[in-house]
Amino acid sequence: MEKYFLIALFVIFALWYLSYSATRLDRLHHRVETSWANLDGLLQRRAAVALEIAKSDLADPASSLLLTAAAHQARDAQMQSRSQAESGLSGALGLLLNDGHLVDGVIEKDLLRELSELTDKIRVAMALHVDAVTRTQMVREKPVFKIFRLAGTAPLPVTYEFEADVL
Amino acid sequence: MTLQKLRIGLVCPYGWDTPGGVQNHVRDLAEYLIEKGHYVSVLAPVIDEEAIPDYVTSAGKPISIPYNGAVARVLFGPIAFARVRQWITNGKFDLLHLHEPAIPSISLLACWAAEGPLVGTFHAAAKRQKAIFAIGPILEPVIEKLTARIAVSEAARSTLTEHLETDAVVVPNGIYADRYRDGEVRDGWSGNTLGFIGRFEEPRKGLSVLLDALPIISRFAPDVRVLVAGPGDSKEVQDQIDPQLLHRFEFLGRISEKEKADFLSSVALYIAPNTGGESFGIILAEALAGGAAVVASDIPAFQSLLGNGEYGTLFESENPQDLAKVVIELLRDQERRRVLAQRGKAYAQRFDWEVVAEDIFSIYEMALVGSKGVTLSSENRAWNRFLGREGN
Repeated sequence: MEKYFLIALFVIFALWYLSYSATRLDRLHHRVETSWANLDGLLQRRAAVALEIAKSDLADPASSLLLTAAAHQARDAQMQSRSQAESGLSGALGLLLNDGHLVDGVIEKDLLRELSELTDKIRVAMALHVDAVTRTQMVREKPVFKIFRLAGTAPLPVTYEFEADVL
Repeated sequence: MTLQKLRIGLVCPYGWDTPGGVQNHVRDLAEYLIEKGHYVSVLAPVIDEEAIPDYVTSAGKPISIPYNGAVARVLFGPIAFARVRQWITNGKFDLLHLHEPAIPSISLLACWAAEGPLVGTFHAAAKRQKAIFAIGPILEPVIEKLTARIAVSEAARSTLTEHLETDAVVVPNGIYADRYRDGEVRDGWSGNTLGFIGRFEEPRKGLSVLLDALPIISRFAPDVRVLVAGPGDSKEVQDQIDPQLLHRFEFLGRISEKEKADFLSSVALYIAPNTGGESFGIILAEALAGGAAVVASDIPAFQSLLGNGEYGTLFESENPQDLAKVVIELLRDQERRRVLAQRGKAYAQRFDWEVVAEDIFSIYEMALVGSKGVTLSSENRAWNRFLGREGN
């Protein structure tokens, strides 16, 4: 009698553990999605600001062209080429902003301040997203998750390769 | 900060009425956020429930356990857990900010019990500890629930990476820089004086290193004096001091914020000879903001806070000879001291709450994306139902 009780207890524990693990993974997937949505939104906003800068007095015609192209590329890129396109935009912005010419005009100053605020936020958002992705990948590698297919049909999140030093 | 007003729950793992870096941090952050118009509730272990501010909720009396070279007053157990759950339910928070969630205390319990936007701040920097590796597999899924992690220093961040294989955003501890901006120079404290603030009885604060260095220093700077401020019994320390040097010491006991500002403006050098166990070094940030020229041991936390010696001079930790050498050089060179102090003061403004809280708040905003507030964790509910049935 006691044996059956123990077996039952074990089965219940195993079931609980599986449900617990499934919840855990589900939560991680959710985190990947929300952190991506957040990062994506910020990057879109950055591309918009970059276009504004390209139109403003900050940019000479050549850098304006470069910036416009990079911003459009970043906006239209598919997921796979997204990080490359965003790095391209970072590079174009860097070229323009690091040549050290003085900025005057209220609108220009506002644009640059907005850009630097966005950049700070993007840096944090990126760290959060990368952490969520690596964490999920790590957890999905564990035997329990593989054997019982706890991930279901959810696609394995891809790492977003962003060259952080460009920012 | 944005116009959006939030309901924020802060959890402090250590006893509210015992002095400590984490407690100070939570208190300052809570008061800053309240001033900005947010609703803030702090859950903490409390010894004396009569003497707590309105925004603190007691989770019960803390238990003392030895941890990281000191006694930590923490709290756990079923009653505490029930109170944590009740606090989460009643609070209807938009976001929880848990401090030291990897310590066996109520922050960990809250992290276990809650679901939604959770932000965790890791304060401690410790060497690799076997104990943490042993409980790692249990901690891992709990810590994983945090939407965003903050480490107060690079040292705390690498501790986190080593122990729990997870990364964090570094946001330093905050100080109210303007409190220290306008200290007055007091005659009794100026001259060739060396300042020390802290619980001097604790060996890791390193007062003994300064004591050992003093005979050498006094040979080259005959009028040097040491001012020691901070709570503790000075009798015991005085017994260790060579009677010939005793007249050079002055024990001020616990000092007020105003006195601290004056103290930092007056002393020739502020000495931080800590031997370890320090993760951030808030007192150094305060000393810099107060305009003191700083000499500190080269433990990792101080090295990174002082920009590898750019904003304060470093000496080899636990080496009295090196400390003496550095102090003598600086005492002789007033101009260098002045430049060092000036550079340090400008640098310290980045630790002001205005800057730090802004950084923390923008992490809150990111954690809040697409969320519907903090609720009790669902798998937990299932588990508790199961336990309840077993109990009947």
